[in-house]
Amino acid sequence: MTDPDVLSGGAVAAPSAPPPATPTARRRQVPETAALIFVLLALGVFFSLRSEFFLNYDNFVNILTAAAVTGIIAAPATMLLIAGQFDLSVGSAAAFCGAVLASLALHNDIYFSVFVAVLAGIGIGMANGFLVTVVGINALITTLGTLAVFRGLTQVITDGQTTSIDRFSGLGTSRPLFDIPLPVFIFAGVALAFWFLSRYTVFGRSMYAIGANPAAARLNGIRSKRVIFLGFVLSGLCVAIGGLILASQLGAASPQAANGLELSVVTAVILGGASLAGGRGSILGTMLGLLIIGTLNNGLVLLNVSSFWQTVAQGALLIAAVSFDQLRIRLTTR
Amino acid sequence: MTEPFHLQAKAIRKSFGGVEVLHGVDLDAVGGTVLALLGENGAGKSTLVRILAGDHAPDSGEIVVNGEAHAVLDPIGARTLGVRMIFQELSDAPALTVAENISLGRWPGRRGIVRWREVRERAVRALDELGVDIDPAAPVATLRIGERQAVEIARAISDKARCLILDEPTAALSAQEVERLFLAVRRLRERGTAIVYITHRLDEVVQIADRVEVLRDGAVVLEREVAGTSRAELVTAMVGRAVGEVARPDDAGIDGTAAPVLSFSGAASDGAFADIDLDVRGGEVVALYGKLGSGTAEVAESAFGLRALTAGDCTLKGAPHAPGAPHEAIAAGVGLVPADRQREGTFMVRSVAENLSVPSWGRIARKGLLRRASEARAYKRWHDELSIRSRNDPEQLIGTLSGGNQQKVVLGRWLERDSDVLVLIEPTRGVDVGARMEIYRVIRRLAREGMGVLVATSDYEEVVQLADRAAVMARGRIVGDLDGDAITTERLTELAGG
Repeated sequence: MTDPDVLSGGAVAAPSAPPPATPTARRRQVPETAALIFVLLALGVFFSLRSEFFLNYDNFVNILTAAAVTGIIAAPATMLLIAGQFDLSVGSAAAFCGAVLASLALHNDIYFSVFVAVLAGIGIGMANGFLVTVVGINALITTLGTLAVFRGLTQVITDGQTTSIDRFSGLGTSRPLFDIPLPVFIFAGVALAFWFLSRYTVFGRSMYAIGANPAAARLNGIRSKRVIFLGFVLSGLCVAIGGLILASQLGAASPQAANGLELSVVTAVILGGASLAGGRGSILGTMLGLLIIGTLNNGLVLLNVSSFWQTVAQGALLIAAVSFDQLRIRLTTR
Repeated sequence: MTEPFHLQAKAIRKSFGGVEVLHGVDLDAVGGTVLALLGENGAGKSTLVRILAGDHAPDSGEIVVNGEAHAVLDPIGARTLGVRMIFQELSDAPALTVAENISLGRWPGRRGIVRWREVRERAVRALDELGVDIDPAAPVATLRIGERQAVEIARAISDKARCLILDEPTAALSAQEVERLFLAVRRLRERGTAIVYITHRLDEVVQIADRVEVLRDGAVVLEREVAGTSRAELVTAMVGRAVGEVARPDDAGIDGTAAPVLSFSGAASDGAFADIDLDVRGGEVVALYGKLGSGTAEVAESAFGLRALTAGDCTLKGAPHAPGAPHEAIAAGVGLVPADRQREGTFMVRSVAENLSVPSWGRIARKGLLRRASEARAYKRWHDELSIRSRNDPEQLIGTLSGGNQQKVVLGRWLERDSDVLVLIEPTRGVDVGARMEIYRVIRRLAREGMGVLVATSDYEEVVQLADRAAVMARGRIVGDLDGDAITTERLTELAGG
């Protein structure tokens, strides 16, 4: 019932173990991220052959810079999806934080304005967390609601106009090292922090347990509501950071900023192997998913494909990733 | 009716992924008789009957129905021949009414317009034939589980089923519901239906079946009339070795003077139980036995923070114990092994090591940091002690272990957590006979290490094989206490039935 190489391991699965060869056992031989690395390399080779501009340092920095904000937000989103939760409000919440910053910076100290904008992000995370854990509304619906609410509020604050911000370009555009923009370093720091959080902390492991089996998590003493609440707060915090970077890059707060960001984030997370059924996924996978999307977008631009088609490609990629996840669920639950 | 219906499977072979799970199996189902198909989990029962129902195609062999041979059956072909299977997981449409469910997929009518009167009449006829009293207009979701099963059987009858395959039909039923099911099965037998009854409960074989066929490791090891076959013979055939039938544990009998670790006095919870006085001492296994719905599981849940007491007291190690949630109960030193392992016990897509250490994370971690090495240590320690059969890889997914070994991991959790009291609800439901004995050994070991163990169960054989003391419950109250060798299947059933 198990592979011969498994049997030779000494201890033998019970002879009555259920039928076919266990795909999970075989799959473990190869890291799950191997397929993603392969796709990424294949894309790299393809675009290198098709465009002379692809394979150079500056272009790679471009890819990373374009992925930075999405990546900063995709890290907590990965943790949330592992626990079976979604945050769709990320795009409008990021725009809202930018708008808060811009409107405060008109009459206030910039540091104070940044501080309040970050608090706003955390506040949105707390609101989402409260609605999901205490009121008990499904996360998809909750954050779909807050998505609309904060996009609307952003327009209210900015009066529908792009509001410029002075003396705030450093966060988004300075290049402290190797000619790489600061957001890329922040992105790397956030990714590293969440990688550590997911692997080495009780909080991170609890996220996996909650996603794998909410009822069992509760019966094993995991305080699921707290953990999920904290997950949304972390998401809010990272959304604020992302929103500030966007505002800084643009030098202004736009009411349409980060429109559709949730699509990019969810695509990267699912492409990275986080399961819609919960309990599976990794930060490393999400980062690879992100790079695949980034490389694809970058390559399509270099090949002069219209940006309208990029949106089509991204949607198709999301559906492909989810189909792949479904296939895997079906294989592993046999 | 002239000839009785006759379904034969001949020399059926079937492989999955290169491993043969049926090695040339025969089966005879004759109209007007009940054939019990007995075997442990994984013996091939389900595969065999799925082939009969057309769900799987056999690799070789044939299926002969009333003398006509078929190499392969598809689900529709099997249905046309009158072979119908009732799965353990009901396949009804809960939002629809009983009558709608019975006509589901074969609506009477013309040009797509349903004739509702006939839908209703059909339902009344089928339910009548079964001898069950269910309102055809009631939505199925409002029915009890036994009634829903009856509706599925009625659907099969109404679709002219001549051979009915029941896959462990009593697994989720209460005692009264089992009675009703048996009545229905006997009625169908009188009508000339051939019944294949899959089970691993021996008492059911004796009660309901005319013939019995035992499968082990994909082959038929015994096939004969039930009359004149002893339980010991059946067990030996199933397990492949002689198993002491419901023997008392040999290390039973402990110091009865020690102070209890868990104690209920006059405990009550609205609508579930009342006047519960019960002590569990460190080092003993106390069983709370009663039929499903008698309140045993609810008492167990109250010790784990899943249900609040509305009167009386509960103490843990002498201190008041009123946990408001599982995490409080765990912190106080109580562990729980829930009844439904898949839904509440295991994290299927996570590793064995992780499953073993979940409730101990708070302890293993330093300042919230958790190292895989410490999980692996916990794993190493219990893997051997509990003889968990696996690849001996801490990262192996628990979902790839057999049910019995998964349950050992769930038990091991509380050893690792070093709990003072362990509460188990139906600890061996869905576990096969061989693994059951091993789980009993593990539970006895937990007690020997000083844990107080409370087992809520509706399986009287389990009580005899496991418990130092037993309290029998009926309708939410304790109706009798048994001690040591006074715990016998006869006394237990007698008390619980009253």
